[in-house]
Amino acid sequence: MNTNDGTSQTPEPRTRNLGRVLNRRRILGLASLAAGNFAISVWMGQEAYKWLPPQASSEAVLVDKLFSFMTAVGTFIFIGVVGTLLYSMIFQRAAKYDNSDGPPIEGNVKLEVIWTAVPIMLIIWIGTVSYKTYDQMSILGSIAPKVMATVDTVPGEPREPVPGDISPSDNPAPIEVHSRQWSWEFRYIDQNVSSTELHLPVNQRARFKLTSDDVLHGFYVPAFRVKQDIIPGKEIDFAFTPIREGRYRLRDSEYSGTYFAANQTNVVVESQEEYQRWLSEIAQNPPQAAQNLAYEEYSQAEQGTISLGWATVKPAPAPVVNHTSSEEDSYE
Amino acid sequence: MSTTSVDPNLNTKAASLEGHGEDHEEDHRLFGFIVFLLSESVIFFSFFTGYIVFKTSAGDWLPAGFEGLEVREPLINTAVLVSSSFVIYFAERFLHKDNLWGFRIFWLLTMAMGSFFLYGQAVEWMGLPFGFTSGVFGGMFYLLTGFHGLHVFTGVLLQGIMLGRSFIPNNYEEGEFGVEATSWFWHFVDVIWILLFILIYVWQ
Amino acid sequence: MSNATLEVKPSEQQTPTPEPGAPDNWRRFFSFSTDHKVIGIQYIVTAFIFFLFGGLLAMLMRGELITPEADLVDRTVYNGLFTMHGTIMLFMWTFPMLNGLANYLVPLMIGARDMAFPRLNAAAFWLVPVFGVILTASFFVPGGPSQSGWWAYPPVSLQNPTGNLINGQALWLLAVALSGVSSIMGAVNIVTTIIRMRAPGMGWFKMPAFCWTVFSAQMIQLIGLPALTAGAVMLLLDLTVGTSFFDPAKGGDPVLYQHFFWFYSHPAVYVIILPIFGVFSEVFPVYSRKPLFGYRVVTISSVLITILSLIVWVHHMFASGTPGWMRMLFMFTTMAISIPTGIKVFAWVATVWGGKLRLTSAMLFALGGLTTFLFAGITGIMLSSAPFDIHVNNTYFVVGHFHYVINGAVVMGFYAAIYHWFPKMTGRMYYEGLGKLHFALTFIGINLIFLPMHPLGLMGMPRRVASYDPEFAFWNVIASLGGFLLGVSTLPFILNMLSSWTQGDKAGDNPWRAIGLEWLVSSPPPHENFEEIPIVVSPPYGYGSDEPLVSNNPGGILEEEPEKTPIANLAGKANS
Ligand code: HEA
Ligand code: HEA
Ligand code: CUA
Ligand SMILES: [Cu+2]
Repeated sequence: MNTNDGTSQTPEPRTRNLGRVLNRRRILGLASLAAGNFAISVWMGQEAYKWLPPQASSEAVLVDKLFSFMTAVGTFIFIGVVGTLLYSMIFQRAAKYDNSDGPPIEGNVKLEVIWTAVPIMLIIWIGTVSYKTYDQMSILGSIAPKVMATVDTVPGEPREPVPGDISPSDNPAPIEVHSRQWSWEFRYIDQNVSSTELHLPVNQRARFKLTSDDVLHGFYVPAFRVKQDIIPGKEIDFAFTPIREGRYRLRDSEYSGTYFAANQTNVVVESQEEYQRWLSEIAQNPPQAAQNLAYEEYSQAEQGTISLGWATVKPAPAPVVNHTSSEEDSYE
Repeated sequence: MSTTSVDPNLNTKAASLEGHGEDHEEDHRLFGFIVFLLSESVIFFSFFTGYIVFKTSAGDWLPAGFEGLEVREPLINTAVLVSSSFVIYFAERFLHKDNLWGFRIFWLLTMAMGSFFLYGQAVEWMGLPFGFTSGVFGGMFYLLTGFHGLHVFTGVLLQGIMLGRSFIPNNYEEGEFGVEATSWFWHFVDVIWILLFILIYVWQ
Repeated sequence: MSNATLEVKPSEQQTPTPEPGAPDNWRRFFSFSTDHKVIGIQYIVTAFIFFLFGGLLAMLMRGELITPEADLVDRTVYNGLFTMHGTIMLFMWTFPMLNGLANYLVPLMIGARDMAFPRLNAAAFWLVPVFGVILTASFFVPGGPSQSGWWAYPPVSLQNPTGNLINGQALWLLAVALSGVSSIMGAVNIVTTIIRMRAPGMGWFKMPAFCWTVFSAQMIQLIGLPALTAGAVMLLLDLTVGTSFFDPAKGGDPVLYQHFFWFYSHPAVYVIILPIFGVFSEVFPVYSRKPLFGYRVVTISSVLITILSLIVWVHHMFASGTPGWMRMLFMFTTMAISIPTGIKVFAWVATVWGGKLRLTSAMLFALGGLTTFLFAGITGIMLSSAPFDIHVNNTYFVVGHFHYVINGAVVMGFYAAIYHWFPKMTGRMYYEGLGKLHFALTFIGINLIFLPMHPLGLMGMPRRVASYDPEFAFWNVIASLGGFLLGVSTLPFILNMLSSWTQGDKAGDNPWRAIGLEWLVSSPPPHENFEEIPIVVSPPYGYGSDEPLVSNNPGGILEEEPEKTPIANLAGKANS
């Protein structure tokens, strides 16, 4: 068969000797390229912090470090591979009438072993770092089963205390989170008050009991880097530690139907004193129905003043609470 | 295959006839059918997994007031269905030896046993105090037995077709794919039932 | 066969039936043809029409997202749009498109005259328009189409606000179930064909890498799809007759559905990417004039990916109701996928390296697809790290990740395949200039729309939202503009295909001087593919070496009887 017509190349050995290819000048050249790539990757790793919201919880500090590390590793791989491809595309093009073939190299065992081994080591590394990070966050409460408790420390390394880890003595009841189509309601059991805005004292481990009245929802505060699906019929224990005062956005993160996008509210992290003051202040307020976009629009649609398009389930009535946040409240 | 022919139509025919001869020398149908059955078994395994997960995690598993499934009649049913797997094997043996009547008799016996199983299943269903929508257990029970029963029913139907076809003269000149496939299907249905029986009747 | 061919030109002699696509017989593409080549093209064209439809929905979505408020369409409509966009793109575009490629290429590449079950093949194809119509019809039932996302997670998918038995969600489930039936039929056929119908001499390690990837992908279909079917059946029963498998209000378990769904739908992404890996493995050697580097390892890594893909599904549920040990376990299995994938990526780079590159449209799309795949793979590894995923799960970071692979690698890989095999399929050449324009617009468009999704996700913008907070507006405007550019980028492609197919230059049998059985027959191949079934004597990709691929003349194209080289004789003997 004339499958490769006109290719009478000087026969080259099938697999070239790695040693011969890698003479000293090449090694030096490669090393400096790798060093350049390394420098860029480290820089990207630092840049990565800027792409994220403020670090408002101790978990955020851990997650960002992990992300920065993975960004650096990823950049290194990406530049390495794409750089090589670009070099080929620019410098190794066939001349217009050159119909000859390239060298018939079919493989190189040494190279193949290297590029199997390096990713193995990389993922062991990334995996270990991720494991430790997750372990330190320990955001899931009791649905993390006992199994996890037994392997809770990485062998040989004691678990570092998380800022705000509470001593067993001061153990306030967890805040009850009620999610609905489409509203959030937070109940402070010890004080018997409720709010559509979440208030938390800074530097203290916050504990929650997550519940849903209808469908799946997700508890998500980007500034805290924590998220947990809420499952109807289950109570999920959840915990994290806010470390920075301010106002942040809390979003529904598990698609929950028509008004999913609007199912947001704010979190206020404040000093211990302000937090206590807020709790006692709102205890004076008579409970009243909160502002609720879904419920209002649905009622309007029922009266025929607006149309909602295709069919939608009826929203739950606006929660009746001691403190309501308004949609216009600013946040970071 | 000559290509100098003037008549294009003739040419086409010649080409495709020759192609067929070469291509289908070996018959791939049984192989393909077994691949399909293996894939199909994953549906059952998925339902089984669901059953196990529900049983080990659900709060009120059995419908209120229901004590547990009666095992005696289903056990008889099981015995019949499992034995039919041997009967169908003998039917096939007769066919291989070109004993058509032997084949038909044992084949018919298999059908009868399959129908008996379906009948027994129906009787059991009628006697149960819970329905398809009585909680997760009710749903799972009817889903599993129903989906399996549908397979048994399909099997009996296929057997009926094969029985009819055995009366067509020279039907087995080109192989016995239909009979072999039906028989494989029957064994498959059988194995699934054994697992199912262990899962919902034995493990209570 | 040995008759001297008189004045008849070889290419005409090869086509007893008129060429597919020739004006006089375009009708065969609308018939119940059992020719794998006709079916292949039927699949591809049908799928592409649905791609345009799904893309049109995406354009509406991008129009909505160019401003923070829910203004262009109502919220319910937006929710229906992304649900149908995802569903159409996966079930109506990628699976049929890949089945089309496999249908067209596999029999030719392994030296078979057709698929093992030609009628089953046609039946599987004709189900595609059937469920396509069902899915499209769901736009017009009262209450609109499904609005529960392409995952159809209960309880949202069970809510059925209209209360009708025939509702968008039920039609959705029906369509997906039929799509499953069609896929299983296709998978049984393709797996049987590859195992049983390879030409004499074509051992597993003489089979082109594309066939290996198709084989691996179809194995996933056979193992995984029934699990989705099981879940879908239970969901449909919950929705229609009132069982309570997944309804927590009645004691059901919605998280179990998620396991069923992802047990299949995660491997499904490898069903999608594996054949594209195969395309890369075919395209790079041809336009670099070098053998595929590490061919055996590349093929085996396809099988490794298949196996690993079945044990990683929980990475879609890191923030769901999963215990910590599960999250950690599946984090590690997921990361392990990068090993066989990395082997492939490095092998392609080594194939290109030191070659004699020719940057045709096919090569450009393959290189572009490889680049976007690498980017998506890296963000994929980040997602697989559970503590990080907890932050970006269900945000635009995920949307960015998967469009980079599914729109970057898969759609661009599809274009690479079409440009590469277009001359074979139609017997005509496409216009290179338009192809390059198409590449430039696509590549820029993809990066412009999907790169901004990563910062958006990192900032915490959830996916599936019709409205969003103003701080996300900047990147969304850029993404929308990029999206419109991406929409426009399909126009030069459509123009190129239509005009080249009808008016392009004659291509010849092997315009790329490629090595492979499909290039030994005329363009387009005759009805029965090969005059003589080829006898394969060498592994594929013998660029730069003088070994012949086959020891006979399967296409019957050569004027003279090919001489049997000693090697050919030897191998022929070993095989008999
Ligand atoms: C064809 C499609 C495709 C492909 C191939 C992939 C490939 C991968 N995907 Fe992706 N993914 C999707 C389509 C795809 N994905 C879709 C559609 C979704 C979302 C569905 C939805 O929610 O609607 C999704 C979502 C998704 C999630 C869930 C995120 C979430 O919802 O929170 C995760 C998490 O782990 C993930 C991970 C990965 C990984 C690790 C790979 C790996 O296979 C990538 C491996 C490749 C590489 C790593 C690059 C090459 C390797 C090297 C160069 C070696 C060296 C590298 C290292 C050691 C890092 N994907
Ligand atoms: C193969 C899969 C695939 C492909 C190719 C695409 C392609 C595109 N996707 Fe895709 N997308 C998904 C699969 C895919 N998507 C999935 C699975 C989801 C998740 C759904 C879910 O959450 O449930 C998703 C979600 C998704 C979102 C997030 C929605 C949300 O979460 O709220 C967005 C947002 O921008 C988006 C945009 C796009 C765009 C702009 C394209 C572009 O490539 C489109 C390019 C445009 C065209 C090709 C159209 C060209 C048409 C014309 C120019 C008009 C011609 C008109 C006629 C012929 C009538 N997609
Ligand atoms: Cu044509 Cu078989
Ligand atoms: Cu996945």
